[in-house]
Amino acid sequence: MMVTILLMACITFFTRYLFLHRALPFKVGPKMQQFLSFSAPAVLTAIWVPIVFINDEGINLDWQNPYLSAAVVSVIVAYKTHNIYYTTLAGMGLFIILS
Amino acid sequence: MLPLCLAVLPWGILCGSLAVQNGFSALETQAMSLLVFAGSAQLVAIELMAGNTPLLTILFTTLIISSRHFLYGLAIRHKVIDQPFRWRLPVSFVLTDELFAFSHHRKAYRTKVRLIYALSAGFSFYIAWNIWTLLGIVAGSLLPDLTHLGLDFAIAATFIALVIPGVKNFATLATVITAGVVATLLKSQGFQLWLVTAALIAMTVGYLISRWQAKEEHTQ
Repeated sequence: MMVTILLMACITFFTRYLFLHRALPFKVGPKMQQFLSFSAPAVLTAIWVPIVFINDEGINLDWQNPYLSAAVVSVIVAYKTHNIYYTTLAGMGLFIILS
Repeated sequence: MLPLCLAVLPWGILCGSLAVQNGFSALETQAMSLLVFAGSAQLVAIELMAGNTPLLTILFTTLIISSRHFLYGLAIRHKVIDQPFRWRLPVSFVLTDELFAFSHHRKAYRTKVRLIYALSAGFSFYIAWNIWTLLGIVAGSLLPDLTHLGLDFAIAATFIALVIPGVKNFATLATVITAGVVATLLKSQGFQLWLVTAALIAMTVGYLISRWQAKEEHTQ
């Protein structure tokens, strides 16, 4: 198992380091830069939305789904307060009460 | 970064306890957080390794899940590339989703002070992640089943807190909606490259809208 973990570590590090390697002969132009400026919202949202909507059976759009109601509340709190503590506390709190 | 360190507490506990309950030793579990340091890749790999999945499949899956870091590296390349290797190496080691979400300042990584700031943030996150994993190892060996507590919702809540305050214009809003819809559809279909595909489509939508808006402003 240790070997697998070491190989995984190499892969993760490789993906993080590759484009910070100086010998790669290219420059990121302004258009590419603008494209990449959307990477954080795109990737993070692509991670969290499926957590909320997908369960073992598939896509779950039911309002009884505690993930969904807790996510809606988190979004509202995040939008109003811009505060990570309030958002996670409100979301997790409601989630635990509902489930 | 401190709020983020606390916000990943449930996620770290989930990682630690899930591994222990799937037959990993404490040492292996901690080594994973110390060396791999990537929550989502760790969670998926734990399930795969517990199911005796072939090594190549595990490594390929790790690469797929981690490939979003290529985008992060590209995005901060122009800020970091002039720094010496001894700075770029640690920056890349702690280049997580959370640190990347925090590095949007125009001058991020560009001065020594900002580099030290980014590295302190990155490594405090690293330390926190490992302490939470340790807590998960302890909790996982004492308590029967933590994995059905819905600790994974904490991941969603953290990322909502990171994304929503940044939605300040129509292009970003369109990016976020596209990413969510496409990722959910692709993942529910069992498509392996769902994360990167959804992200690239969403980024294209955001980019095209922002270009189109710039042109509109220009012609007015």
